[in-house]
Amino acid sequence: MSKYAIEVENLNIYYGNNHVIKGINLKIPQKTVFAIMGPSGCGKSTMLRSFNRLLDLNKNARVTGSVRLFGRDIYAGDIDSVEVRREVGMVFQYPNPFPHLSIYDNIALGLKMNKLVKSAEELEGRIEWALKKAGLWEEVKHRLNDYPSGLSGGQRQRLVIARVIAMKPKVIMMDEPTANIDPVGSKKVEDLIFELKKDYTIVLVTHNPAQAARVSDYVAFIYLGELVETGETGKIFTAPGSKLTEKYLTGKLV
Amino acid sequence: MYQFDMRRIKEYSFLGVICILSFLMIFPLFHIIFTVFADGIGTLVSTGPVFITGTLDEGGIGPAILGTIILAFFASLIGIPIAFAVGVYAYEYPHSVIGKATTALLEITQEFPTILVGLFVTQILVLPMGTYSAIAGAFALAIILMPYVAVYTKEAMSQIPFTFREAAFSIGVPKVKTVFLIIAPIAKRGILTGLLISVAKVAGETAPLLFTAGGLYQTYPDSLTQPVGAIPLLIYTLVQSPSPADHAMAWGASLVLLLIFLAAFIPLRLSIKEVRL
Repeated sequence: MSKYAIEVENLNIYYGNNHVIKGINLKIPQKTVFAIMGPSGCGKSTMLRSFNRLLDLNKNARVTGSVRLFGRDIYAGDIDSVEVRREVGMVFQYPNPFPHLSIYDNIALGLKMNKLVKSAEELEGRIEWALKKAGLWEEVKHRLNDYPSGLSGGQRQRLVIARVIAMKPKVIMMDEPTANIDPVGSKKVEDLIFELKKDYTIVLVTHNPAQAARVSDYVAFIYLGELVETGETGKIFTAPGSKLTEKYLTGKLV
Repeated sequence: MYQFDMRRIKEYSFLGVICILSFLMIFPLFHIIFTVFADGIGTLVSTGPVFITGTLDEGGIGPAILGTIILAFFASLIGIPIAFAVGVYAYEYPHSVIGKATTALLEITQEFPTILVGLFVTQILVLPMGTYSAIAGAFALAIILMPYVAVYTKEAMSQIPFTFREAAFSIGVPKVKTVFLIIAPIAKRGILTGLLISVAKVAGETAPLLFTAGGLYQTYPDSLTQPVGAIPLLIYTLVQSPSPADHAMAWGASLVLLLIFLAAFIPLRLSIKEVRL
């Protein structure tokens, strides 16, 4: 078994004729927080969506190169994309619990769909476990049948995280998870990321270098679809190897 | 001191023009509702409950009311399932060749003259069967109903943010289930409102029924393969008569049609809760 959760080799992504991600190589170690940072529109989210084959949804997108998940190429012919998505959970920029399902059913849906639990008791237990793990249980235990519209942005995002955790994935990807929630909610999500890395590999996309510095162990800086620099967070933030990274970190890159 | 203020004058004159134009637009609608009430209520009150339950000879429009309900029901039964599937298809594959063709075709059929639909059904059903029938009328209405239902379904589903689709896929929900368990339920208010508008529209149609449903007002219908009446069709027939009593009856029937429409539309519309995003 590879000691890396995800290994990316010469990854290229095109939208039609638009070359969005240009020959990126990355190694994401297991059970760490790996931040991918870069200015808006540099291709971070697109690249993230290639790690769980969510990019398949976009008919214009074309991927070349390889993405290996624990040593297995997820773009190989015999791979079931549904299985890949089960192993690689995803949290989105806009907190998107399903608005027509109760808090309980939001988490139950994926478990039922993929037949991950065998009995009603197990389902109930798994939902409670996931909500506790996401630090939301105390806030919602009395209103599991309410709709998520009554939750704050931060709570919704933690519900989405619970929805992901319940599936027991190996990797959790987060696409700017705090971009649309208030500072208090953001702090809770960041604390949660810290907690979760004990059990999961976390890939965090952010356009906020300060957030990358706060929560990540490793960081990669992407600019205009190219990998500028990657390495340990501490090292890159104190002694960036490239002028471009330095400009980005000091806020001089627009 | 109050100053001569060009900006303020412009704003108020613009507001005034908008108000007048809005009034001109809404006025006919209220005028129709008012006239139908004013002229219809007299007939309804003087005839009493017999107007709703009786046959034409008894001074009532019962068979026409039942006919409209039968026609709308069977038109929905035939048209809605097919149209819903077409709407889902057009939503799911908007860029495929068939998807594009479907969307274009739907827009054309929406504007299609309804009397031509009646003629078409005459050709394929009424002539072979040798008689006007409820089923022919319902079939004609179903053809008119379908493009509306399909377009409303597609539009309602297209309004749902892409992120919910991504979320469903990301937790391993298959494509078909994503459409039917996630997207359609989130869009249910839009879809059901579209259904209502479509059914209400065909329930008020006259032209396609002229040579398909035929008309039946002296007795209640007892078979789907026999002619059947409808309120709009009856109004059309009564208005052509020279007798003032028939005209009064036509106003009464118009009021009943309006009341059925309002009674079905308003409670249903209010009862469908919007999914709050």
